[in-house]
Amino acid sequence: MTESTFFTIAFALYVGALLVYFASLFARREKWTRSGLALAAAGFVFHTAALIMRTVVSRHAPFTNMYESLSFLSWAMVLALIVFSRKSRVPRLGPYLMLIVVGLVALASSPLMPKGATPLVPALQSYWLWLHVSVTLLGEAFFAVAFISSLLYLAADTEEKKERLDALSYRAVAVGFPLFTLGGLVFGMVWAYRAWGRYWAWDPKEVWSLITWFVFALYLHTRIVMGWKGKRSAIIAIAGFLAALFTYFGVNYLLAGLHSYA
Amino acid sequence: MKSVGKFFASIKLAIVLFILITLASILGTLIPQGRSAAEYAARYGGSSGLFISLQLTRLYQSFWYMALLFLFGLNTVVCTLSRFGPKWRRAFGPVAATDAQTLLTMKVKSRFRLALPVVAARDRIAGLLRSRRYRLTESATASGVVLLARKRRLGRFGSDVVHIGLLIILIGGFTSGIGVRRADVALLEGQTADVPNVAFQVRLEKFETEYYPQGGVKDWKSTVTVVENGAPVLTRVVEVNRPLTYRGFSFFQASYGWDWDSSRLDLEIRKRADATFSKVVSLKVGERLPVVDADLSYVVVRQFVPDFIIGEGNKVQSRSQEPNNPAALVEAWKGEERVFQSWIFAKYPDFGQGHAGGSSALAFVLKNYAAAPYSVFEAAKDPGVIFIWLGCLLVTAGFFLAFYWPPREIKVVLEEVQGKVEVTAGGQAAKNREAFQSEFENVFESLRRPA
Repeated sequence: MTESTFFTIAFALYVGALLVYFASLFARREKWTRSGLALAAAGFVFHTAALIMRTVVSRHAPFTNMYESLSFLSWAMVLALIVFSRKSRVPRLGPYLMLIVVGLVALASSPLMPKGATPLVPALQSYWLWLHVSVTLLGEAFFAVAFISSLLYLAADTEEKKERLDALSYRAVAVGFPLFTLGGLVFGMVWAYRAWGRYWAWDPKEVWSLITWFVFALYLHTRIVMGWKGKRSAIIAIAGFLAALFTYFGVNYLLAGLHSYA
Repeated sequence: MKSVGKFFASIKLAIVLFILITLASILGTLIPQGRSAAEYAARYGGSSGLFISLQLTRLYQSFWYMALLFLFGLNTVVCTLSRFGPKWRRAFGPVAATDAQTLLTMKVKSRFRLALPVVAARDRIAGLLRSRRYRLTESATASGVVLLARKRRLGRFGSDVVHIGLLIILIGGFTSGIGVRRADVALLEGQTADVPNVAFQVRLEKFETEYYPQGGVKDWKSTVTVVENGAPVLTRVVEVNRPLTYRGFSFFQASYGWDWDSSRLDLEIRKRADATFSKVVSLKVGERLPVVDADLSYVVVRQFVPDFIIGEGNKVQSRSQEPNNPAALVEAWKGEERVFQSWIFAKYPDFGQGHAGGSSALAFVLKNYAAAPYSVFEAAKDPGVIFIWLGCLLVTAGFFLAFYWPPREIKVVLEEVQGKVEVTAGGQAAKNREAFQSEFENVFESLRRPA
C-alpha cells in the first residue's frame, strides 16, 4: 500500500468522524461524540502512517509544499482535538474542528495541489526545516482549537457552556502561543540566519507571523493583566487565528516575498 | 516624574502599542517596500510623494516605526520593573503575617487537631512538604508557628523572563541596524578577493553545482580558503545552510552564475557550396580570430547569451543564468566586407542560417560553449546576532516558566489549644488546580490519620 492509499483511508475516516459528530449534534446524543472521536483517532493513525511513508519515500520532512503542509496541519489539528477532547467537556469542539480538518484534507486532495514529492532546493536542506515547520504548524493547530471554541462561545446560550468554552480557548492559546513563538519566530530566525545570512528581513511572511504573535500577546495581556474574559477575548482569539491563517495561506498567494516555498 | 513613570508602567499603553504596531506592520505588507520612486509614482500616482515623505515605502526602518518599537521596549522595561519587587517578596521573602481565619477563606484548605507538641507537629508537616519539594520558611507567633511552603518559585517570573528576552531582542535588532556590515563577494574559481573592511581575504578554490537526476539544483558547494597575511589559514566547503565563520565574519552561499560574457565557444564553419567542408574554431566572446581561408579572413562573436529571449524594444536578453537556450551573435569578415552575421543557436542549429545569414556562402554551428562558474557570498558581520540568540533563549525559557512551571504555595498555622496542636492550612496554585488540590489533600490527610 502506498502513501496515497493511507491518506485516502484517513480522509474517509475523517469524513466518517465528521458525519457521526454532526449526527450526535442533531440527534442531541452526546455519547455519539465518542464514536466520532474514535473514528477521528483511527483516521489519525492512518494519517500518521501516510506521513511516515511519505518521509521515507521522499527522504525529507513531509511539509515542503502546499499539499504536504496542508496534510501535516490537518494531522496536527486532529492531534490537538485528541489532546483536548478528554478534558475539555465541550462536545461541539469535535464536529466543528473536524469540519476544518476535512476541508483542509479535501483541499490537499484536490487536483489543484501538485502531490509529487519534489527534491528539495538547497535552502530547504536543513534540519531546521523539521523544527521550524512542524512546531509552527502544531502551534497553529492549537490556535484552531481556540478559534473554534471562541466561535462557539459567541454562539453559546448558557453561562456554564460559556465558561467552559472560554477556559478551553485560553488553554488552547496557552499551548499554541509558546509553540508558535518557538517554531515560527525563534526557529525561523535561526534558520533564516543560517540560510540567508540575516535573521530577520521584514519579508511579508515574517511580518505576518509577527502580527499573529502580537494579536495573541494582546489576548494574553488583556486577559491576564486586565481581566478581560468572554466575548472580547473570544474576538481577539478569532482575529489571531485568522492572522495565522493569512500568514500560512494568504501571504503565499497575495504577497510576494522570500518565503516562496509553502 | 511619577506620573511619567505611571504612564510607561501602564498596561493600557502596552495594549495601545500592540494595536498600533500590528496595524503599522499590516500597512507595510500592503505597500511594497523599498522600490524606486518611479515605481511608486506609477502605482500610486499623485499620492506617491506623500507615501515616500511619510516613510511608508521603507516603513520598518522609518523613524516612527522605530519610535513605536522603542516605546514598546520602554513600556516592557517599566512594567517589568514596577511589578518585580512585590513578586520577589512573594517568591523569596519572609512569611507575611497571617492567621488561621485568613487561611480558612482560601479555596484549598484544611483544619484539624493533632495530639502532639507543637515542635513535633511542625517537624512532621515540614518533612511531608519537603519530600514534595517545597521550600519552607517559618516564623514564630505568640501561640505557635506559621509555616510558609513554596515550590516552583521561578514560575512567578516567567513573564518577566519573556519580557527581558524581548528587550534583549529589540536591543539586538537596533544593534544590527546600526552595526551590521554586509558585502556581496563574487568569486570565480581560483580568484582571491578582499573582503571590505576586513584584514583577510577569501579565495574560491572550487565551485560545483550538483543536480538531481530528474533536474533541479541539489547543492552548491564552494570550497573556500581564508587567506591572512598572504598565507592560507583554513579551507572549508560552504553550502547553503552551512556558512563559514571567521573572525566574526560569516560567509553565506548567496548566489551563483557563469561568467558568460567571457565564454569560450567552439564554432563549426561550413560552406553551402561544399558539403564536405568543415572547420572548427575556438574563440572567446569579443575575440577577433583570424581564419586562413579563401572565403573569409576572420570570425568574431559579438555577443553570447545563455538563455536567449527577445525582450523589450526587440533587444536580445538572457532570460536566466542557466544555459537553456545558448545563442551567439557571429560575424564573419572577408577583408573589409562582412560576409556573415547572424544569431546562431546551440539547440537549433538550422535556425538563424536562413535569415540574415541566408544570402551568405557560409554557415556556422555553435558546437560548444563554456564559461567559468562564479559563486557569490554574502559576507556579514552582525554584532546584533548574539543578542538575538540570547533573547530567544530567554523568551523560550520564560514561556516554559510561565505556562509549565506554575508556582504553588501552602501556608500552615500551628496553634497550641488545650494541649493539642490545631493545624490550619490553606494553599493556592497558579495553574492546574486539581492536581494541586490532590497534592494538598495527600499531605494533610496522611497527618489526620493516626500514624
